[in-house]
Amino acid sequence: MNRTVLLVGLIIAAVLVAVLFAGLGKNPAEIRSPLIGKTAPTFALREVGTSRTVDVTQFRGKPMVVNFWATWCGPCWEEHPVLVANARMLQPQVQFLGVVFQDKEDKILGFLNQRGSSYPTVVDDAGKTAIAYGVGGVPETFFIDANGVIQAKYSGPMSPDVLRENLQKVMKQ
Amino acid sequence: MIAVLLLLLQLRVPDAAQFVGPPKGAPLAGEALEKRTNEVGRLLRCPVCQGMAVSDSPAEMAVNMKGQVRELLARGYTEEQILQYFEKSYGEFVLLRPKSPVLWMLPVAAFLLGGIVVFLKLKKLERAPPTANRQPFDSAQGRPPTEDPYLSRVRDLVSGGKQ
Repeated sequence: MNRTVLLVGLIIAAVLVAVLFAGLGKNPAEIRSPLIGKTAPTFALREVGTSRTVDVTQFRGKPMVVNFWATWCGPCWEEHPVLVANARMLQPQVQFLGVVFQDKEDKILGFLNQRGSSYPTVVDDAGKTAIAYGVGGVPETFFIDANGVIQAKYSGPMSPDVLRENLQKVMKQ
Repeated sequence: MIAVLLLLLQLRVPDAAQFVGPPKGAPLAGEALEKRTNEVGRLLRCPVCQGMAVSDSPAEMAVNMKGQVRELLARGYTEEQILQYFEKSYGEFVLLRPKSPVLWMLPVAAFLLGGIVVFLKLKKLERAPPTANRQPFDSAQGRPPTEDPYLSRVRDLVSGGKQ
């Protein structure tokens, strides 16, 4: 009986350790979204500070970086220069698009005027686009390939290396 | 005014139909709509809260999600379709009632397994001969002859014997 109990205990411990190690090896910011591998939900939203509509389908044919953010989010401030610099470098081969939600127009414009911008930013007023993309918190960034398929999602502020690494997933498609 | 109307016509947010097709139920309104919104919202997890349902959270994200639930119910989407819609964008994490029956069965299975182990152990103890592990008692010394020396010393100290 004791030997059986020991064996069962060892098996349970081994399973728990294996699960723990599998989890430790993963980056918690790289969230496995159920949308990965699926066609990105389409939307047409108003560009901040203008009456122009930006339709996401107009960028089909080239990879896209869709960044959900807000001015009240500290990590968004952190990654903003990374996005602006890379957009300057990579556009028009890659299209960058900012989607702001749960925010105010004047604050968004103030932020962009002060910190610069190199790509369009649209306003998701009722947060419906964010919900369709399964956005929990900001910043969250989706990497969409030229066919409009979501290839990666990153949650949290992106470093230049993280951005490049995720861009490779949509550039090779 | 016309420019604003034109802009509103051009705006388009992702529609539930892209995920779960056309509505399969009857559109709701008034009190029934509010009641069902709260009921369905209680089945959805607020993604920015600590284990709170969309209906119970004051977070803006939860308020937006509840608004989406209300709108979908008003358009005739069923509870099943709405849960499916949120699951398709957030994953099973968003459902407060897990779909997998395995998760519900695990505590019951663990309880039953524990019960079986205890039952078998008790059965074995009952079967064991009562004197199997007892040692012959040394009446002169008042202790078993092969008693642990450490235990003997403790016994002596407690009874006020030699130091």
